[in-house]
Parts: sequence; structure tokens; C-alpha cells
Amino acid sequence: MQVMTNEEIISEIKKFLVEEFEVDEAVLGPDAVLKDALDLDSLDYVDLVVVIESTFGFKVKGEDFVGMVTFKDFCDYIITKVNEKK
Amino acid sequence: MRYALVTGGARGIGREIALKLASEGNFVLINYRSNDEEANRTLHMIKEQGGQGALLKFDVANREETDRILGHWIEANKETPIQILVNNAGIRKDTLLIMMGSEDWDSVLDTNLGGFYNVTKHVISPMLVKKYGRVINIVSLSGLKGLPGQVNYSAAKAGTIGATKALAQEVGRRGVTVNAIAPGFIKTEMTQDLKEDELKKLIPLNRFGEAKEVAELVAFIASEKSSYITGEVININGGLYS
Repeated sequence: MQVMTNEEIISEIKKFLVEEFEVDEAVLGPDAVLKDALDLDSLDYVDLVVVIESTFGFKVKGEDFVGMVTFKDFCDYIITKVNEKK
Repeated sequence: MRYALVTGGARGIGREIALKLASEGNFVLINYRSNDEEANRTLHMIKEQGGQGALLKFDVANREETDRILGHWIEANKETPIQILVNNAGIRKDTLLIMMGSEDWDSVLDTNLGGFYNVTKHVISPMLVKKYGRVINIVSLSGLKGLPGQVNYSAAKAGTIGATKALAQEVGRRGVTVNAIAPGFIKTEMTQDLKEDELKKLIPLNRFGEAKEVAELVAFIASEKSSYITGEVININGGLYS
């Protein structure tokens, strides 16, 4: 995968949330509470993990989601993981 | 052509499953733990009937080895993901619980139930990405009814049945089905120490089953034709238990 900037990563995250999970992009502010914004049930996490892994190419673990509250937390997590791969 | 992985494919029911899946046009990866000669024979039989396959030697009970060998194969073959997984590898260490050593408990659980986790964890992700997959767990009458002398084996198979039903619910929305097939007494090396003449009186069809008969059922569940069946445990036991 080509090296992505943080802005490109966030843009990619928004894109798949809008396309795959029908999330309204307007609600995806940094402080948006992830659980409410995404309105995910527990089985949606299967899709979320699949999309993250296939989009960004790293393995997601269950414990990665512990303590993740806001949309910013979610983006920071993905940015950190993507940067680890560089 | 789809890629199929059959664990414990060197002998017995696993071999027949591998042969049948290959005969239906799938590329079959034959996993086995130690018996190179029998594994090569299975592969040779596949090629003789005009099919395609390869050997993948690792112990499903050994998580590190499974991660290394199966994980590497999956990483190196991203264009041809495994879309049919038959978790067939199993061992028996029969004895009454009162005499069962911890090694007999651990090894049966590690192979029969741990093996399901170790292998499926790797194979399921590409299935979810491609939105297609068939996971088939070979369990046993022992896991449904419980059989004396097989507390370890019954526990492992019952555990796999629970895992089958749970996983089916997790992955159904992405087009992956998960089912279990529960054979009764089937003529293989694993059952050659049993007294068929006495036991067959208990079976309405009055005989032990053939591994080929199990393979036919597996092939149907592994095919696209079984698309609306998931989370099921299907008995194949001559009417012995239903």
C-alpha cells in the first residue's frame, strides 16, 4: 500500500463508514461518540474489522477497541497502526 | 475453481472428503500432522482421478506451527483464498474419566477443539472479505449423545458443535455458512478396534457407514447448492441416533 497521510487515512475511514455502514458524514466530528454515530450492533463489528483489515492491511484484535470512545480515538488508532507498518 | 482445506486429510474420512472435493473441481489442500506416506498417497489418488491438490503439513493442535505454516500459505496465496474449510483432524484417547490422565484430556481437547480455533481463525478472514465461504466441522455422535469412555472426545465435539452454532450467527451476513456433520460408526482405522458385529445390531441400517458416504454429504454442504443451510448439525449415522 502507498504511504498515506493522516488526512488521507481519515478521509478513507469516512468513505467506508459512509459507503458500507450508511453513516451520515455530518455526524463524524472528532468528538462524536463512536457507538452512537455508527449505530453498530455487535455483529456489525465483523464487517468493521473486515473493512479495516482489507482497507489498511493490518490485523485487528478485540482488545484494540477497549477504551475507544470517540471518532477521533478510532481515527488515531488506525493512524497509529498504519504508521507502525511504514 | 475454489480452494479447499481439509485438515487430517491423509487418511480415513478426511482422505475421502479430499478425494470427493477434488473430483468436484476444487483445488484441495491436504493438511496432515505426521504421516507423509499416507498424505502423499491421498495426493497421488487426487491426481490419478484428474484433480488438483497440494500437501500442507502442520499439527492443528500446535498454534505456533499453524500460525507459521498455514498463515504463511494464506499470506503467499492471497489471489486464491481458501473458500471451503473442512475441520476434520481429530484424535481419540478413550478411557473412563476415573482413569483418564491429564495428557489424554488435554491432547484430545487441543486437537479436536483447539484445532478448530487455530485453523478457522486464519481461514475465516479471507472468506469474510470475499463474502463467500463454507466451514464444515466434522464432529461426532459422541458430541451429541455422549459416549462412555469418551468424556474427553465427547466434550471436544460438543464444544465444536457450540462453536459451529455461534460462528454461523457471526458470519452469516457475509455469505459464510458454518455447519457440523456428525458421523456415527464409520469404517476407518479409527473404528477398526470396535466390534462391528455387535454394534451394528443397534443401527437401524444394520451396518457401519462408509467414509465415502460421509464425503458425499460434506461435498453437498461444501457446494453452492447448500446456500441456505447454516448453524446445523447434520447426523449421518444409519439411524442410530436422531
